[in-house]
Amino acid sequence: MANVLIKVIIATMLLVVSQVHANNALDTKTVIKPIMTTVDVGVLATRGVFEAKQRWQPTLLWLQSQIPNSEFRLHPFTLAEMETAVQQQSVDVVVTNPGQAVRLGRQYPLSWLATLNSKLGDGTHVIGSALIVRADSPYQQLVDVSGDKIAAVASNAFGGYLTMQLAVQNKGINPTAFFADVSFLGFPLDAIIYQLRDGHVDAAVVPVCQLESMLEEGLIQQGVFRVLDDISPGNFACGLSTQLYPNWSIAKTSAISATLGKKITRALFALPAEHPASIAAYSTGWIPPISQLSVDQLYRDLDMHPLQRPWWQEAAVWIKKNQQWAWVVFLFVLLLSVYHLILEYRFSRSERKLTATLNRLKEKNAMLEHAQRVAIVGELGSSLAHEINQPLAAILNYSQGGLLRINKGADASAVAPALEKIQQQVKRADGIVQRLRTLINKRAVEKSRCDMQILLSDTLELLEYDFQQKNISVTQSCIGDVVALDADMVGLQQVLLNVLNNAADACLMRDPTIVVNNNISIESYYSDDRLILNITDNGIGLTATNTELQNAFFTTKKQGLGLGLAICRDVIEAHHGQFSLVAADPIGCRVSIHLPLR
Amino acid sequence: MSQKPVAGHVVAVPVYVVDDDESVRDSLAFMLDGYDVNVTTYAGGPSFLDNAAIMQPGCVILDSRMPELRGQDVQAILAQCNSPLSIIFLTGHGDVSMAVDALKSGAVDFFQKPVDGEKLLQAIATAAEKSVARSVQLSALLSYQSLTEREHDILLLLVQGKRNQQIADTLCIAVRTVEVHRSSLMKKFNAKTIAELVLQYGFAVN
Repeated sequence: MANVLIKVIIATMLLVVSQVHANNALDTKTVIKPIMTTVDVGVLATRGVFEAKQRWQPTLLWLQSQIPNSEFRLHPFTLAEMETAVQQQSVDVVVTNPGQAVRLGRQYPLSWLATLNSKLGDGTHVIGSALIVRADSPYQQLVDVSGDKIAAVASNAFGGYLTMQLAVQNKGINPTAFFADVSFLGFPLDAIIYQLRDGHVDAAVVPVCQLESMLEEGLIQQGVFRVLDDISPGNFACGLSTQLYPNWSIAKTSAISATLGKKITRALFALPAEHPASIAAYSTGWIPPISQLSVDQLYRDLDMHPLQRPWWQEAAVWIKKNQQWAWVVFLFVLLLSVYHLILEYRFSRSERKLTATLNRLKEKNAMLEHAQRVAIVGELGSSLAHEINQPLAAILNYSQGGLLRINKGADASAVAPALEKIQQQVKRADGIVQRLRTLINKRAVEKSRCDMQILLSDTLELLEYDFQQKNISVTQSCIGDVVALDADMVGLQQVLLNVLNNAADACLMRDPTIVVNNNISIESYYSDDRLILNITDNGIGLTATNTELQNAFFTTKKQGLGLGLAICRDVIEAHHGQFSLVAADPIGCRVSIHLPLR
Repeated sequence: MSQKPVAGHVVAVPVYVVDDDESVRDSLAFMLDGYDVNVTTYAGGPSFLDNAAIMQPGCVILDSRMPELRGQDVQAILAQCNSPLSIIFLTGHGDVSMAVDALKSGAVDFFQKPVDGEKLLQAIATAAEKSVARSVQLSALLSYQSLTEREHDILLLLVQGKRNQQIADTLCIAVRTVEVHRSSLMKKFNAKTIAELVLQYGFAVN
């Protein structure tokens, strides 16, 4: 008790002393020349320069009146201007919203002097956002506007964006998707409301009470807007879509002395609630600075706290701290890379092997097919020879026997049976020939719709390996509209195979002194009534006469049967088309196939 | 091509044609008949083996590819039962190795169809001669094999030119016994004189 008494006495004495001191100073001022202290006050002009002046000038005048020989100059700033000013220490005192207060306070030396007290709610927590839409819009909930046109202040505006972003995130909505079509309009806030009113945007994020202030000032009509997800508590008069954060605060930079700071603080605390300066600032005076923890948390949750180091710095720090683990990870990654390279190498090696095997297989297949063809022809020939041989032998025997008898002077009646038997044997031989012919023509011709271009590419695919071995390139061109034709696909493919194989053989048989790249060009011309297919090679060219070419079993190849061209001609003629062979210019041979399209 | 019958090619032995093709059989028979050859035809190996006089001299014209018994099989069977028949192959599709095998196995000739009648006749004539010779040789061999031990000893001594008395002395038997064996020998070899007996012996041991 006595202690308290002593303290009170000391305090009173101090007050008296200071008063005396102040009086002395005043005396000196009047006597000599008064030293004016200029204080530059930066304020966040959320609603424009004019409004900022209206709001804060009275407070500055109050300060000026409370602190002798001082001049307070008002500087309305945007968010960016404010930051620059603090960075350059060109202002002495700043008044700003909690969002920027925390951002600046965590980056620059700022000393918090006081927090504005409000008549709303608990007085200290009055900052938040409202998501507003036009009253006649279909939106009922916050999620409804997700991805639609939303207007906000700025990506770093506190009440105008960040608090809303966190609220959205806390509702489990992806903020990036929610604000997919957001436009940042900046200060003044009134413009955002007007944009919403005029239908340029579907929704707007504005600081809390912005709507109510404008209503009060008669700038907008009552009932034109709605606040979505309004969660404002009972004692809070404004619509609110987010949590509440601390009110605006005032801070001093290191440009002014602690003494002056103390004076300013004292003057602010002394501002009565009903003073016009308080009313102009929408407040009930100033109170000691309150905790800004909730704002820090907001920045942390949004992963943008100013003290937060970028991830790569964090990683560098972690690596420095845990070198052994960093090495383990590094070695692991290195091992993985080496393993990957080994796998890659082995994969490419086995791929090469596979390709080689595939090529060998194709080669074997081609050989097998050839062997089979040879075998079939051989078997056919041998069986034909045997079958025909029997009647021939019999005929020879009968005729010799008959002649013997005639030479011996035998009667004609002795020879006649032999002649009859010869006839029988001739008929037998003829029967064999007929049977063979039907055997060869056994395949029934089936006509179906087919596309020559598809048939061509199929056939080229069959020959691909062979051509690759023989180093022959194929060029293709097609003029006109591709039309499907009614044709015997198997037969046509046989023709194409024959012609292309022939062309390839011709390329290999060319005089080796003529140096050109082996090439086969395939040109298709579709006209209204016919398809002309020209297959031109640059091989040995035509060495036979036209008459020779007409004959079956005529061949210039050592192992040829001389049936290829005859078969081609047969098939094309069965399609009412034309098949012709002409010499190409300067070397080679051109096969022209004309097929009617109707 | 001369179709005149060739003198000196008179074939006395029977000729058999074995072929599954009726036209070949018939035409061959017709032609060979023109050469006055005694021809009998058979449609397959089994009927030929069953019905033909295979232990008599003769000539058989065999087709190599037949359904029941191949020509080569027929040849093997004939060889097995010491048939004196001569074999001529006449085949529709022969090759060198087939011909070599056939000739090695004792065939007289190997022809491919169609065959010239003249050449075939010549081959048949050769075959007939061989067959007759073989027949003689075979009968001598059979006789030789049917000899008893004593007859065999006596034959050897006879061939050496010994007289009955000398033989009896050598073998320590009676001259009369030698005479009996000698007459038996002459009978078995169907010989009238000692010279004939020696000739038969020569056939047999060759």
